[in-house]
Amino acid sequence: MSEIKTVTVEKPVPVTYDLGNLAVFDTNPVEVDLNDLNVDGQAREEALQAVSRDNAQLLINQLLSQPIKNTTDSNSSSGNQNSTMSLIMLPQPSTRLPREKPIPKPKAMTKWQEFALKKGIKSKARDGKLVYDEATGKWVPKWGFNGKNKELDQQWCVEVDDGKGSKKNQEDVMLDPRALDRASRKKLVKKNQKQHERNLKRGVSK
Amino acid sequence: MLRQVKPKNARAKRAVDAKEPKIVENTKQALFVPGQTSNQLLHDAMVDLCALKLPDGKRFNKKNEINPFEDVSSLEFFSEKNDTSLLVFSSSNKKRPNNLTWIRTFGYQLFDMIELQIVNHRLLRDFKAQTVGVGLKPMFTFNGTGFETDPVLMHVKSLFLDFFRGDTTDLQDAAGLQYIISISAGEVQEDKPLPLINFRVYKIRSFRSGQKLPRIELQEIGPRFDFKIGRRQAAAPDVEKEALRVPEQLRQKTKKNVEVDNMGDKIGRVHVGKQDLGKLQTRKMKGLKKKYDQVEDDEEADDEVVTTKKARVEEEEYFNE
Repeated sequence: MSEIKTVTVEKPVPVTYDLGNLAVFDTNPVEVDLNDLNVDGQAREEALQAVSRDNAQLLINQLLSQPIKNTTDSNSSSGNQNSTMSLIMLPQPSTRLPREKPIPKPKAMTKWQEFALKKGIKSKARDGKLVYDEATGKWVPKWGFNGKNKELDQQWCVEVDDGKGSKKNQEDVMLDPRALDRASRKKLVKKNQKQHERNLKRGVSK
Repeated sequence: MLRQVKPKNARAKRAVDAKEPKIVENTKQALFVPGQTSNQLLHDAMVDLCALKLPDGKRFNKKNEINPFEDVSSLEFFSEKNDTSLLVFSSSNKKRPNNLTWIRTFGYQLFDMIELQIVNHRLLRDFKAQTVGVGLKPMFTFNGTGFETDPVLMHVKSLFLDFFRGDTTDLQDAAGLQYIISISAGEVQEDKPLPLINFRVYKIRSFRSGQKLPRIELQEIGPRFDFKIGRRQAAAPDVEKEALRVPEQLRQKTKKNVEVDNMGDKIGRVHVGKQDLGKLQTRKMKGLKKKYDQVEDDEEADDEVVTTKKARVEEEEYFNE
């Protein structure tokens, strides 16, 4: 074919694009009357293909003139075969399409998170579970099995609080300090569980 | 409603989490359900449509006794069970032969549905053409005035765009632009039934044009359908409003004070606060020092002059030393 193939398309009414969805909307009527069932099937197909071709050309012209981002992807695990890919950067889709599911509601905050936000408290960086034990020269867990917070349980001899200070301390003098230590730990766990339950009631999911 | 099961292991939990509503949603999945009155043509049509939708499509083999326009609950159940928000249901009877009901759900509840009856068709296997790979994003062209004006055709446009667009992405490989779905309709005329919807799929073939942009030619790869529009149930206005809402996190914020003028130049306006001219730093001179400031009262001004003279004398002495 000696005819020069052009890449430009003339339309009486300019088409609109939704490049985010790779779509083109053409409001020009199709040349063949599609409603007329007397039109020969072949003619109809040719007309449809012609108008689709023109719109495809317009769409591709638009797409290829969008900004391009080059990426380097390594194709193999050994990484010696690199290829650059030219990706067309698409704008946001402009046609509004319904969502599949409702927008998720923001998660409820725990009582502490709410408080911390109000006071502007930032959580500290965690410095690991292990802590150095001066006595044995070993790294031991802060809590849990053989945890540092249980070291009183193991001891054969424990110093007793002399009962000075608060009234409560005076009452506790006669109790086993090991049991006391354990009880206070259990109390903290109970308290935490209660707070957790209260948060669950507020709608905080696990 | 499905029974809510608390996940017992991490894998089950991941599966449950994948179904949760998200801000950036999963690709919509499609489910093809044959009705009790489905026939060979509808089966073949669904096979072809599912092939276009793959890998986001699923096809049921068994027939189901459902009448979507009377009771849609079992389809809603399928939607929830399979996590598919697009459903195609087939049925055929004397009044509505070769009928496909296209249903969309929102939150596993019916969003909208429309009946499209196959009038003309040519199946995938009737085309002796090589098709394109699975999972490529199609391009779309909607030809016809009605797609912008007529509510039913706008429904059809929204449906097909939603159905076949696949993954939403902001980066598209140029090599992946391989086929185009062309949906055309004739003129919408009053007092006449709505025009047929012509569904065509073409493969893109590009040729050198001597310019940077390629010359595009099309080759039909099928399937080809002409649909007659049947009954339709539009989305309820409040549900539609809810479904079309864009999450705040995804809304594009317009940059304030940045404009692009007619020439394509970007213009930004910068606001500086009101300038305090009293604190303006001018040229530094001895005579402009604060202590030499002229005071309104004349007498005091005289005093000032005296002091300045004194000061000058002192300074001179200092230099002489």
